[in-house]
Amino acid sequence: MRNTSLWNRRTRLTLLIVLAATYLLGVFFWGLFIDPSEYGVHYENKLLAPSAQHLFGTDAMGRDMFKRCIKGLSNSLVIGLLASLVSSVVALVMGIASAVFGGFVDRFVNLCVDLCMGLPHLVLLILISCMAGRGTVGVTVAVALTHWPSLTRIVRQEVLQLRNTQYVLASRKMGKSYLTIALTHMVPHVLPAYLIGLILLFPHAIMHEASVTFLGFGLPKEMPAIGVILAESMNHITTGKWWMALFPGLMLLLAVVLFDLIGETLKKLWNPNSGNE
Amino acid sequence: MKSKSISLVLGIILAFSMVGCGQKAATESTEAQSQAEDTQKVESQTGSADSTVETADDAESINVYIGGSIFDSSMDPVKGFMSYGYPFVNEALIQADTNSEYVADLATDWEVSEDALTYTFNLREGVTFSDGTPFTAEDVVFTYEEVQKNQANNENVDLTKLKSVEADGDYKVVFTLNECYSPFLDTVAMLQIVPSDSYNSETFDTAPIGTGAYKVAQYDTNQQIILQINESYWGGTPDIEQVNIISMDQDTAYSNAVSGQLDVVMVGSTYINETIDSMTLHKLETMDVRNVSLPTLTEQVMKDSQGNEYNVGNNVTSDIAVRKALSIGINRQEIIDNAFNGEGKPAVNFTDNLPWASTDDYEDNQVDEAKKILEDAGWTDADGDGIREKGDLKCSFDLIAPGNDEDRYKLATALAENAKNLGIEINVRNESWDVAVVEENTTPIVWGWGQFSPTVIYSTYDSEMFLEAQYANVTGYTNADCDAAIEKAFAASNQADANAAWKEAQAIGDSEYPYLYLVNIEHSYFVKDNLDISESTQIPHPHGHGSPIICNLKDWVLN
Repeated sequence: MRNTSLWNRRTRLTLLIVLAATYLLGVFFWGLFIDPSEYGVHYENKLLAPSAQHLFGTDAMGRDMFKRCIKGLSNSLVIGLLASLVSSVVALVMGIASAVFGGFVDRFVNLCVDLCMGLPHLVLLILISCMAGRGTVGVTVAVALTHWPSLTRIVRQEVLQLRNTQYVLASRKMGKSYLTIALTHMVPHVLPAYLIGLILLFPHAIMHEASVTFLGFGLPKEMPAIGVILAESMNHITTGKWWMALFPGLMLLLAVVLFDLIGETLKKLWNPNSGNE
Repeated sequence: MKSKSISLVLGIILAFSMVGCGQKAATESTEAQSQAEDTQKVESQTGSADSTVETADDAESINVYIGGSIFDSSMDPVKGFMSYGYPFVNEALIQADTNSEYVADLATDWEVSEDALTYTFNLREGVTFSDGTPFTAEDVVFTYEEVQKNQANNENVDLTKLKSVEADGDYKVVFTLNECYSPFLDTVAMLQIVPSDSYNSETFDTAPIGTGAYKVAQYDTNQQIILQINESYWGGTPDIEQVNIISMDQDTAYSNAVSGQLDVVMVGSTYINETIDSMTLHKLETMDVRNVSLPTLTEQVMKDSQGNEYNVGNNVTSDIAVRKALSIGINRQEIIDNAFNGEGKPAVNFTDNLPWASTDDYEDNQVDEAKKILEDAGWTDADGDGIREKGDLKCSFDLIAPGNDEDRYKLATALAENAKNLGIEINVRNESWDVAVVEENTTPIVWGWGQFSPTVIYSTYDSEMFLEAQYANVTGYTNADCDAAIEKAFAASNQADANAAWKEAQAIGDSEYPYLYLVNIEHSYFVKDNLDISESTQIPHPHGHGSPIICNLKDWVLN
């Protein structure tokens, strides 16, 4: 088998990742630094269909839907990022603690995981969002606090299996502390799996933020967000203003698909032998 | 070393495969979950649509969508159902006519004693409830005493001023008051009579028995209420045999109307420029105004009569210059055009179709005058950002558009845009009512008021109401002259004096602009062309999110 070309599968996948990441980062930073007047109210431009000036058309208040989508998606990404950070830290700490200490700690962590996974995710999100005062804070806290269980399980399984390996037993016998073992043996081993889990957590967080917002328990109406835009568009679909739902929906879908793509591709790159398992 | 690296590689392989499985499973389950939700939603929507189809076969029945508020509360008059004045199952002794004057309903006539402490009503004879029992004075006495006993369940009909109610024979009732209370007739019009023999506070929640033109034939919680003609109605037989009041989402209702399944559909301003085949848009007059409370106190902590502490006041709106500049400087018509597609009329106080409401009018859109007022008060834009400031204080405040009311949010946004011309920044926030009431004394809120009773003046302007009840005088407005005028209105022994005093109270209050009145809204409905909703007998619609159109259901004719 010859593969001398630079344009091999590995390069293609890398390029794919770079493109996807560029798009997502582009949206993220554009939205972060966009001037609010760009998606402000302009009553003279009410309900315009998509055109060169307004790529995605305008809504009933004459706001440019394209800029609103960018800002909205960017807001979603910020929440997704926060949620991923919190979830990953929680998952890492709980997963490792559970595997290393075992016994009571393990049972407690498992109980927490089962408790979180036992409730329908959306219901849990709405409950926490309401408890935390709804709005931006509510939905961020809710999304951040509900995405750790699956990652925790992965980390725990990984570490559990490591715990009885020769070199871990050896370092234990040599009198190394739990912390040293965790940092030098466990973390480096778990890291790749963990990072991929982290990236794959993003689309969940974004989708959940959008759904909770759509249902009216999340981001407030005055904040640009895909969930808000979709909820507003419900009243206009029946009168034929298709662009208000279609484009924002596609933007959300694209973002989610791209994150999934990055995650899955990274998995292939870091683990090229997975096909032989 | 070698075995270590092998185990590491193996570990990583295992890790990847596990991440793969775990994540995939999770993705799938969420997808399935959201799919299940979607189908459920579709089902519930088609469910209500199906019920529409079922009943639409009958030519003598109509399907109406009049918003959801009718499904929110108990149908029991004793608990305050339809106290805004458009009942259809139970009837009150008197009712308001198209000029907001009271005319006979279950009473034939009434008289008020010289000292205004005794109200005597002669009752209509030969009226029976839909269960066949005759209507007599005993039922009236029963109803009023029942409400008095359970006053806590009925916040709308306040009978605390009523000392006693007595039957004088079968067809005369005498009410005695503790003290002069000129809005007592409004109270009488609010409370519909229930039968003393068959009243049951549980079954009446969904199946009240009354003397009205229609009776409840079927009640499906949050789905539909089916009304059928009350055969024994005293006022003649209505034309339409069956009315199905259907609960659905606004957008679903609209698409059902487009497909011809609804005969009347209430629509928000979003839809008023649309056309539906064989349906015509009717815009009906209301007494419903939208205003913004502008707290008149500076920020501080105050106590109510129970000693509870509240944060009150707003440092920007407490300056009368800001309140006045807004009131005269904004362009109400432009706000209405922008927010509501032109639906509604500019308003600077309560509506003229109420006999007690102030008729004082003033020009708005006086931008230069408003700017001058602001500048004289020290509000200037020194840093050139388009927003005025006074010292360190920016001329900027939050405005809450409460609840799930798209129209109030649109109105607030249009106001904020308009206020920019004056150099005032308004940040619109959409909050649920439970958040809004917590902030009601500090943050301006978009309110909706529309009722026959002038007691709204007492609750929105009187200083003794501040902090004592929800929604009451949230601006903290305090003026002894205004309080005195309100007291005079309550104590008046005839309607003319009372109305004059109410107007005086409003004149005093409005001169300090505690409320920024914006619009007298209109209710819009698409009505089938073969259905006559008898617009000439429609009363000005009280507050009610679209449901008051059924006020004259008995006059509707299906051709």
